[in-house]
Amino acid sequence: MATLAPRLMVQSASLDSKPMSKKPTKAELEARVIEFDQQAMPYLPNLYRLALRKTQNPAEADDLVQETLARAFMYWKQYEQGTNVMAWMGKIMENLGKNRIGKLARNPFKSSVDALEDWQVGAATSLTATAASSAETIAIENLPADVVKQALDGLEKNRRMVVYYAIVEGMSYKEIAETMGSKLGTVMSRLHRGKNELREKLRDYAIQEGYLTEEVGAADE
Amino acid sequence: MSDECQQSKTRVQEFLQRELSETEMDAIASHIATCDNCESEYDFEVLFNSVIQRSCSEAPPEELAQRVLARIRDQISKLA
Repeated sequence: MATLAPRLMVQSASLDSKPMSKKPTKAELEARVIEFDQQAMPYLPNLYRLALRKTQNPAEADDLVQETLARAFMYWKQYEQGTNVMAWMGKIMENLGKNRIGKLARNPFKSSVDALEDWQVGAATSLTATAASSAETIAIENLPADVVKQALDGLEKNRRMVVYYAIVEGMSYKEIAETMGSKLGTVMSRLHRGKNELREKLRDYAIQEGYLTEEVGAADE
Repeated sequence: MSDECQQSKTRVQEFLQRELSETEMDAIASHIATCDNCESEYDFEVLFNSVIQRSCSEAPPEELAQRVLARIRDQISKLA
């Protein structure tokens, strides 16, 4: 199958190793440049934001985007026209990321993640069933973007990436499953848990900062 | 909570992502239209998604595109 996970890509040790035995002709290269320019390069900002979510470090993100696009160009022939090019490049980035150890950025939400992780698993369904109060709606709407981003970056990595792919990139569950190499059910549960956890963190933050009172936040039905 | 409420609340995300069958989509849509509680939960989810989207709006450094193109030109010169 020549879809999302070309084995060649995983196996090749570096960019310098030749992916194909035959060199492309000049005409082939020219056509590739045009296609790449039109179809891949416009996603540079998306790839950068994706890399930031992954690495939580601007310098590493910069590097990762360069490597991802360089590989995408190298293996462009393996991209199946008509499929989601962002999902394909996300897969390349995932594979590159497996060989790197991202530095953990300092994050005020980080410390609470482990504790959340345990009870969140059992609480996922019940939280979903909680109705949003109008006070919570207003509070969430008025939270500074940086606070939301920090809370997102504080989620466990797989949950964070699924939330990002689904909500920000608008990728389908199937595309996310292929990109991350996981099962559809896993994608769904990570998305639900990730969003519930994010909502809970933001609600706590809103209460703490006085955007929301505890009574309204907790006792709404 | 009725089964319909339970269904629409647990599947609101799939509804928004259009990950349900047409029948399921219709069932949830018509339930939301008649249930205030589920409607506000739906509205919240829409808002929450847009808040998450807004929070991820970092622009890449201006020179990043140049760095990428330089690497690709380098590759081309090796391939050609």
